[in-house]
Amino acid sequence: MSAAALKCLCCGSSSVVEEDHYTQRQMVCVDCGAVVSEGALTHDTFEGTDISYSRTTAVSKKPCLNQRKGQQQLTALCRVLRVNSEIERIASEYFTQAYEHESFLKVSLQKKETLVGCCVLVSCRQLNWPVSMCTIACLLEADMAMVGGVYHEMIKVLQLEVPHISVSDVMESHCKEYKISSLDVPEGLAEDHRDIQERALSLVELAADSWIVTGRRPVPLMMATVYLAWQSLKPNLVRLNMSLPKFCRIAKVRQNQTAAKRVGEIKSVLCKLGKEIPWVTDPVTSGNVVRYVEDIVKNRYALLRRALRSHEEAMREESQLCCEEANPSEPEDQTLRATSRNSEKSKQPGEGREFKAHQDLEPNWGKRMVFAPPCVIHAKRRRAAAERLEGITGDEEISDSEIDSYIRTPQEAREFAVAQKAWVSQSDQAECE
Amino acid sequence: MTPLQTIDPRRRSRRLEYRSHDRLLNDFAFTPKDSDFPSRAGPPSGSARASTPVPPFSKASGEPADDLDLSFLPDELSVNTQDAEGSAGASQDVDVGLASRHEGEDEDKPSSSSSQLANTGAIFCPMTPMTPMTPVTPMTERSGIIPQLQNIVSTVNLGCPLDLKFIALQARNAEYNPKRFAAVIMRIREPRTTALIFSSGKMVCTGAKSEEQSRLAARKYARVVQKLGFPARFLDFKIQNMVASCDVCFPIRLEGLVLTHQQFSSYEPELFPGLIYRMVKPRIVLLIFVSGKVVLTGAKERGEIYEAFENIYPILRGFRKQ
Repeated sequence: MSAAALKCLCCGSSSVVEEDHYTQRQMVCVDCGAVVSEGALTHDTFEGTDISYSRTTAVSKKPCLNQRKGQQQLTALCRVLRVNSEIERIASEYFTQAYEHESFLKVSLQKKETLVGCCVLVSCRQLNWPVSMCTIACLLEADMAMVGGVYHEMIKVLQLEVPHISVSDVMESHCKEYKISSLDVPEGLAEDHRDIQERALSLVELAADSWIVTGRRPVPLMMATVYLAWQSLKPNLVRLNMSLPKFCRIAKVRQNQTAAKRVGEIKSVLCKLGKEIPWVTDPVTSGNVVRYVEDIVKNRYALLRRALRSHEEAMREESQLCCEEANPSEPEDQTLRATSRNSEKSKQPGEGREFKAHQDLEPNWGKRMVFAPPCVIHAKRRRAAAERLEGITGDEEISDSEIDSYIRTPQEAREFAVAQKAWVSQSDQAECE
Repeated sequence: MTPLQTIDPRRRSRRLEYRSHDRLLNDFAFTPKDSDFPSRAGPPSGSARASTPVPPFSKASGEPADDLDLSFLPDELSVNTQDAEGSAGASQDVDVGLASRHEGEDEDKPSSSSSQLANTGAIFCPMTPMTPMTPVTPMTERSGIIPQLQNIVSTVNLGCPLDLKFIALQARNAEYNPKRFAAVIMRIREPRTTALIFSSGKMVCTGAKSEEQSRLAARKYARVVQKLGFPARFLDFKIQNMVASCDVCFPIRLEGLVLTHQQFSSYEPELFPGLIYRMVKPRIVLLIFVSGKVVLTGAKERGEIYEAFENIYPILRGFRKQ
């Protein structure tokens, strides 16, 4: 039954494609989505031979059924993501190469399906069409760990170089997911996605400068910035009182636990910058900082520089107030750290002093910087490292008593054997019942 | 523990005197003859220093050259170099005589032993190392941070087939679940380590914090197996992997690092928060985190870890202020 000959019963169009729905083949109309016919069991004929290629005399190997299915899935995935034909072609090439490589021969079917997604991901990245791994994992309904594993394996096998994409690249497609245009939600809550995208992008850049982005998953971060952007575009009571989970429900986006934490972190950074705004007189707290987000975002570089400078001054005063025993190289150390990216010249004279100062650094240097990665500021307290055995040569004498302490006495061994037998027979009985 | 500590102090001072000659000799690039060497190991007199040629140490690679007479060098020297190599984890059988090995392994282990020596830095000037090797970064440019070893994995062959059921029955510190894994898991308290003992007689020892501790622990396990009645020996002890960690104490821009060192780094924040840097020389894998903490793994010798860290530190410094 060829697809071309069928006509949709609902809308009458002739563009009916074959699609796999949970491994069952169906004929679906592209225009209206009606299922024209479902595959009966007789339709899925096995088109290959019974004998595997390695045992035949055939010269060239034809792609097996799973490979062809994989290619079809790849095409379907490319259509869902709406990528151009070049990406599809390259992805298809990678899939063929990887599938026929020996390391992917004896892999489970699930991994082969994940391979499809990874090929699309790699070719998208190489041709500058940013797609996040989370999206692919979602579309494939696969676990992130498996996607990661197959992705790394594929890169190693095909020896590909994949350019790195940043959060800002993926931001645009992420923003489009939020259904908060005037068509979907009441007027007071609606916002044009371009405005949100612009504001959220500047918030992401701000977060990147203050060490919130590096090392973190992009999706919770993007969600947090979109939420704050939406709030700050019209900071009225309605929006300010709306919590993050409620916002996600309105925008019909899947909720995320970590996004709330990111909101808190970004707000603390905004507070630090909000304090530096010259025309703001009331104290800036996480409650009212959203009102000032527009000003902060517009003047963020100036505010960053001011924040760093005032922190520098505060540190200098503090160390002067401290007793004279304070290490004289410390304030200079702080100066070097706190200056913005423009001051590379100060690096040279400071190097020698830093060597000495390094030994004196407290374990938590993050608390002394304005902006530091949150994992440093809230460092996990590790249990005290086990006492290091010093001066062992490896050839020492081993005392007999120590070794004997590891060996059971004959009496103990007998008792243990008896107990084990009893336990084994008991568990066998339990299994039989 | 350094090999220097076991050297006779008289020899040490003499070596210092030879040190200062090296530079001069290298400039002149001349080959010493038999007659020029002092027949006895006596301190060269002041006036004779410029004229008496001292064997250029920089030549000592592999076996000594034919025209060099090194008989005046103290015998302890050979023992010291062995210790340096032994502690660096060379594979050897305890039964085999140690003296035969050190000459052949001189070539293999110059970097490890000299980096060990260089790191002690106590007496030897690091500018003129004993054996030829790639230039070491001078002391002033070094980071001052020493990675701490966290885990050592080693293997040893006990040389006889073992009855795992019997071992699990007779030993207090053993667990054996053949359905889950085909080896006995044994632990000892001092040094705190775990060993996997297979029925073929091969054993894997993990959890030690230094090469010597790993060797001591492996010997203890072998002794336990011996006491249980098996003819266990201690063959082919080899360090398979070393893991170390350290903290550079400044945040690192991983996005920048992956852009400039693309061929070595892999940074996927969606999968893992750290950047995986695969250094080619030495072949070490580094996990670099935004907090400044660095984990180094894949080393067979301590020197490789130190070298890898010294290689990465200037790169990380470059991504500090941005």
